[in-house]
Amino acid sequence: MSNFATQPFAAPERRALGFLSTTALRSIVHARFLWAVPVVVIVIAAVVLPSFRSPISVNSLLATLAPIVIIAIGQAIVVMYGGIDLSVGAVAGLGTVVLALGPVVPGGAGGALVFSVIAGLVVGVLNGLGVLAGINPLLMTFAMAGVVQGTALLLQSNPESAAPMALIDVVGTSIGPVPVLAIVAVLLLFAAWFWLSQSRTGRVVQAAGFDGRIAGRLGFPIRRTTIAVYGLSGALSALGGLAIVARTYTADALVGASSVIDSIATVLVAGIVITGGVGSLLSILPAAVIIAVVGQIITLTGTDAYYQTIFKGVLLVAAMGIYQLAGRKIRMPWRLSKPAIDRPGQDKRARTEKPAVAQKDADR
Amino acid sequence: MTDTTTARSSTAHLTAFSLSATLRRVPVQLWVAYGLTLVCLLVLGLSTDNGFSPDRLLRILSNAVPLGIVAIAQTIVIINRGLDLSVGPIMNTAGILTALLSAAPGATLATTVPIVLLVGAAIGLVNGLMLAFTKIPPLLGTLATATVIQGIYSLITRGQPKGRVPAELRELADGRIAGSPFSGSLVIWIVLLVIVGLILSRSVAGRRFQAVGANPRASWLSGVPVRSHTIVAYIASGVLAAIAGILLIAYSGAPSLTAADSYALNSVVAAVIGGAALAGGTGSMVGTFAGVAVLAFLTTVLNSFNISSPVQLIINGAVLIAMLFVNSRIAGKRSR
Repeated sequence: MSNFATQPFAAPERRALGFLSTTALRSIVHARFLWAVPVVVIVIAAVVLPSFRSPISVNSLLATLAPIVIIAIGQAIVVMYGGIDLSVGAVAGLGTVVLALGPVVPGGAGGALVFSVIAGLVVGVLNGLGVLAGINPLLMTFAMAGVVQGTALLLQSNPESAAPMALIDVVGTSIGPVPVLAIVAVLLLFAAWFWLSQSRTGRVVQAAGFDGRIAGRLGFPIRRTTIAVYGLSGALSALGGLAIVARTYTADALVGASSVIDSIATVLVAGIVITGGVGSLLSILPAAVIIAVVGQIITLTGTDAYYQTIFKGVLLVAAMGIYQLAGRKIRMPWRLSKPAIDRPGQDKRARTEKPAVAQKDADR
Repeated sequence: MTDTTTARSSTAHLTAFSLSATLRRVPVQLWVAYGLTLVCLLVLGLSTDNGFSPDRLLRILSNAVPLGIVAIAQTIVIINRGLDLSVGPIMNTAGILTALLSAAPGATLATTVPIVLLVGAAIGLVNGLMLAFTKIPPLLGTLATATVIQGIYSLITRGQPKGRVPAELRELADGRIAGSPFSGSLVIWIVLLVIVGLILSRSVAGRRFQAVGANPRASWLSGVPVRSHTIVAYIASGVLAAIAGILLIAYSGAPSLTAADSYALNSVVAAVIGGAALAGGTGSMVGTFAGVAVLAFLTTVLNSFNISSPVQLIINGAVLIAMLFVNSRIAGKRSR
């Protein structure tokens, strides 16, 4: 796959980073403006707010960043596959509740950690099976969120459960001002990016996200990939729940309430196209930093926390609007500018999205 | 050919034929929806003594009126290939605003209700404009609006909604009309169902609306303005959600920041049980009524067995998954 994609472009960058595919390199170049935004925001905040520069503030900022990044990785993989996962928040809550079952399950806190990730994986696989059965991913994960939240609330009422303080103290440690979990999150992000952009399975995910029908006809292992993609998202959400516990010290079924909008906003700001197949996981980092830094600024300036909610909603729409406007002028999805197969007028978007027709009208 | 042969034969034959033809034209989803309603009704009736008393059933339905009205809104949007996740926050906004305005001196329902409905319509207009003129997927767009609305009313009320719920409004929910077992709100719901149902299935505008949902491109090519239909769908959804929000505080008696949060999911569940497909174009008020009835009966049954709310959440989710599965099988069979 990788060779095939790089061959037509004997670009100079291939010599420097020859192991990366052209699409991966291009997406990094495309994201350069996105990287500038958090840098500018951080510089301004650091100059204006002295408290923003303190090590405690940096530590808390990075601790907030970790769960956002971890959960957004899972969401991004699913979105790249052309789906969406609305159960991430509920699964994060389930993860924390299972983690608190440490005193009850075999293996103590360590065992609970394993069970927590397995629980997330199981929910994700169930989501994948539902999507394979022909259920709209949006509704499948929406309904699954209800089931998972109910289960988590039930488990939470177990009187013997308690937040595993010993375990939290281990995973919640910091090296200087940098929490270990933030490092783990960034490492996970790089691993996921490398997997998605370079490995065979990752390329199948992209291809199926770009056009599932063609990918299926080409004989790609769609069924296996669907289950892997949603399973990964579930497991990562449970891990994200762990990262939330490390910061808040409470295991609660509702702890991931804001994770759904956080992860979707992050993915959209990262420029990953919601219909799938186009984007780079690496851009998640600047996108998550924007959300975390704005949250931190709102906390530090003592502004009402409700402004954060409003900000996320506006950001969600603004991200989609800006990429759409940018896409109209410079044709951002590079593959769309020179389609491999000459498709008759109606492309993937026109079939899946209602305003596409009206849009063509406006384009004329 | 068959029509002419039947016309020549006896009238009895004719009615039997057209009846079976009509029955055959009923979508499978409707059969499933009403079958499910019947099962829930039987369980509900058999679970307690005197379970089938019409007064009890009407009371259960009348408690489900806010959900019923939001489900109408959601069905309209789903027929238009959309999804409105902002109905919950719109309902909360309507409740908070009604209580707030009613507390003002000299305020009557005649002055407050139109303002609240206008606010609902305005939020719907924002949704509609955003979704009609950009490529933003409806789910994400309305999720964003929902988040923004939540932030705004939390900010304004500082987490503590104030005001009072007028007595006339309480009467609308709890009282019975002139000795009949129907409450005012139940009548409002039924009337809305009938009006929207008739417009959708009988009028040219309604049929056009369904056509836009079924195939926007073909509709646009035949000269139907696609965008204005999307905008109208979301405005209607906003207004209906505002009505539902007013009726919700008429029941609960107090405005709340979170009371209507579950209505977004439940309204989608009701519409889907009623046979509305997210791909657009299908969905009917007859089906949505069954969807709401199933949810209302199911909740009552679960409550009467003292089943805790987490388990109810699980059961609701499982029912939705099962119905989605059944509907996807039916749709798959039909398209083949």
